[in-house]
Amino acid sequence: MATLTVNGVRRDVQSPADTPLLYVLRNELELSGPQFGCGLAQCGACSVLLDGKEIRSCITPLSAAGTKEVTTLEGLPARWAQQKGLSKADAGKTLHPVQQAWIEEQTPLCGFCQNGMMIKATELLEQTANPTLAQIKEAFTTSGPSPHLCRCGSYTAIIQAVQRAAAVMARGR
Amino acid sequence: MAIANKDSQNVFGATLTRRELLGTGGALLVSFGLVGSQPAKATVPGNTLDPTLPTSWIEIHPDNTILIRTGKSDFGQSTTFTAYRQIVAEELSAPFEAITTVVMGDTDRTPDGSGAFDFLGRGTPNIRKAAAYTYQALLDLASESLRSPKDQLSVKDGVVSGGGKKISYGELVKGRQLKLTIPVTGDLTSPMGLTVTGNPPMKPVSEYTIIGKPFRNSVIASKVTAKEQWATDVRLPGMLHARMVHPKALGSKLVSAGSLDKTRFPNAQVVVSGNLVGVVAPTEWEAIQAAQQVASGTRWSEWKGLPGDAKLFEYFRNEADWKSTPVAKSDKSHGDPAPALAGAPKTLKATYQMPYMKHAPLGPTMAAADVQPDGTVHIYTHNQNPQALRGEIAKMLAVPADQVIVRVFAGPGHYGRSNGGNAGAEDEAVILSKAVGKPVRVQWMRDEDFQWSTQSPAAFADVEIALDAKGRITAYEVDHYMPAMQDDRPIGAVLAGLPTMATPNPKGDFISSTVNSLQDPWLYDGVSVLMERGHGTYQVGEKASPLAIGLRDHSMRTPGQFQQNFPRELAISEAAALAGADALQFRIDHATEDRAIAVLKAVRDASGWQPRPSPAGNRSGDTLRGRGVSLMLRSGSYWACVCEVAVTPASGVIRVEKYTIAVDPGIVVNPLQLKRQVEGGAVMGISHALLEEARFDESGITVHDWRTYPILKMSEIPEIKVVLLNNPKVGAYGGGSEAANALAAPAIAAALHDATGKIARRLPLKAEYVQTLLRA
Repeated sequence: MATLTVNGVRRDVQSPADTPLLYVLRNELELSGPQFGCGLAQCGACSVLLDGKEIRSCITPLSAAGTKEVTTLEGLPARWAQQKGLSKADAGKTLHPVQQAWIEEQTPLCGFCQNGMMIKATELLEQTANPTLAQIKEAFTTSGPSPHLCRCGSYTAIIQAVQRAAAVMARGR
Repeated sequence: MAIANKDSQNVFGATLTRRELLGTGGALLVSFGLVGSQPAKATVPGNTLDPTLPTSWIEIHPDNTILIRTGKSDFGQSTTFTAYRQIVAEELSAPFEAITTVVMGDTDRTPDGSGAFDFLGRGTPNIRKAAAYTYQALLDLASESLRSPKDQLSVKDGVVSGGGKKISYGELVKGRQLKLTIPVTGDLTSPMGLTVTGNPPMKPVSEYTIIGKPFRNSVIASKVTAKEQWATDVRLPGMLHARMVHPKALGSKLVSAGSLDKTRFPNAQVVVSGNLVGVVAPTEWEAIQAAQQVASGTRWSEWKGLPGDAKLFEYFRNEADWKSTPVAKSDKSHGDPAPALAGAPKTLKATYQMPYMKHAPLGPTMAAADVQPDGTVHIYTHNQNPQALRGEIAKMLAVPADQVIVRVFAGPGHYGRSNGGNAGAEDEAVILSKAVGKPVRVQWMRDEDFQWSTQSPAAFADVEIALDAKGRITAYEVDHYMPAMQDDRPIGAVLAGLPTMATPNPKGDFISSTVNSLQDPWLYDGVSVLMERGHGTYQVGEKASPLAIGLRDHSMRTPGQFQQNFPRELAISEAAALAGADALQFRIDHATEDRAIAVLKAVRDASGWQPRPSPAGNRSGDTLRGRGVSLMLRSGSYWACVCEVAVTPASGVIRVEKYTIAVDPGIVVNPLQLKRQVEGGAVMGISHALLEEARFDESGITVHDWRTYPILKMSEIPEIKVVLLNNPKVGAYGGGSEAANALAAPAIAAALHDATGKIARRLPLKAEYVQTLLRA
């Protein structure tokens, strides 16, 4: 049995240590944000943050998570609330600016890849407050183990959503 | 079925009955005229809604909220969650926000079947007619309630006014047994499903207040916040996870299934049914590992029945059977091109080649199934045409369709792959569930989704064009060659030797036929002689396979038309170059339809296109730039695009720098969602044009992951400009989710010619191919 810190909560899990984190999150902890896209770290659909860094949960064994903090799509609002010190009342009704921007820009088409896109955007914007277009493209194309792929072709909408979220995050609210 | 009797009314083809108004039925007869013919007969199995009941389509609640139902599933087109809500709200003159629930796809909870290709139903979707009938029935109720003649009523925001009084729809229906019989025809579990018939009066387009506005898609927030239930999230009590062990080659038969190492995988189980092998286990990770272990010990017969991609077009030209299938001819074909071609001062004769491509959903196909002891089959999946799936599973199990219930959830877009009824894994989940007596979830792995799914068929076309001395086309002749495009046999059923529909053949119906029908409407009516033929054949390798599995094909976004439009539009650009004419003006000069000309002018102006002949003057330097144009009519929408490219001769890399696209779909239902659809289609189209080819050897598909089947990355996208031409006078809704993916390829190939003077007539335009072409 292992203990995993996910979205700020310590969780006991039964899965064997070599189980890819993706299956632990989806099947044991019932967190449905990360999706199975390839199992090869080639598409980004399964992304989560591990201590703030985007990783591919489909190839990361449970044992590699160790004591690090796992953040899934479900945990983004709380992550933002904590970073901004929002009151409990405000936190309950505030989405992460990345999620809010994804809605405002009507970014997803089928939406299957968008978990990874939003995780990557969060990582980017936590490190780079006002990324240039080139920095955004670099983040989604070459910064990780593979490009983040969208088969529906929503890249333009993703870029616009990242720019919108960046403006909100730079303002602090 | 509806029975027209003395208590019922014929409402523009529908029948209205109102039990509580028996005594005053005569007044209603006056308002509707005589009872007409009974509704056409429809074939509808049990365990579904009665499509003749209005509440099967639209439910108006006493609190004024409205629920709508559609059998067609939306995987990102935003049609059911925005366009359908707008269309229904418009016809009912109710607020968009009043439609709080959309029930989609579930076979026991929706009325009409069919697939996403039929979303806008050639301009008037089923749901629009259902809403129009319901509106008339509501007006009748209101006329009674308000004691005001129907023609003096007005409706705003779901409130009917008349005679100085008002009543809301909610109050109107409260406690009333309104019964309106919706006339339908068709076969629910066939690929085309049911069609609402009759001609109810529609709201005049000039009175629209909801259609044309940029409403948001209600499922987006749910997906973005991880609240949406995806098919991948379905977990049933006692459910086992499964992984398949698919054959080594597309024509391999099972020699012996590997035995399971019970010490390593104590809870797993192997299921063998004919040539179908699957492994089930309580946890997903055990199922994956156990399946790998079983696969390593499983023996298959050798099979090498495919020509291999390097020899494909040689095989098509010299060996494929194009004679058994009747040759199709376009409706517009007329005249004899031979004399015009023989006497023309300038001619073009060329062959164009399109590869096999994969639908390549970002998530590999999956499904869960529960075959219960009483024989009832529940399937949980992501599927564009769940009613047709129901029919296929019923056939496979030799049970009535009544016993099969399909529930649909969000899933990865798969661009037409399931529009004929199966996404790939549903039948395997059913077979395994039946074998082990428990619910089973089958998830394909990435390589299986590339190698065991269907593909968009390869094709080639021979084009001949005659130009007169003035540079006008006097004759256009084309022969399109493509194997059958739609094999809807569930693969698990085929492997297990269970009943399926026939393989595509010359006598199949319009969907399962080998006939290569003309899919790309001709738009250059200024050309005096036109001959367009389509030649079809069997799927490659199928007849040589002991399992009748070769390269199984399936329609993919803009199906068939992609394969026919690339040759035509590139050939037209080449003809313009031969004539020394500007490629865009050349199109305008040969077109006669106003909408085609208008869309060309729109894309010309939006892209800043300057008229000049191709190729461009300057063809030296490290980077060469060029532009190309293409034109298409699909599903009532006129499209034109301009691609501006940069070519690096040293590497052969083509980079699309700017992409401008204009579309006239008739009525624009939702400009915000349409724009996002078009942007997405543009990106997919550039991906098709530059990168995509499903390579194969003599045994099967060899691409197996995103490295061997690359798609366009964010860093490779151009600046994209979308021009929407709202054209309300058309009076119909044209499709917007297809077509955009097909326009890029001929425009990019024309741009490559413009930049370099070299013509690339084979897709994809990969760097190695372009580099070789430029060195020649």
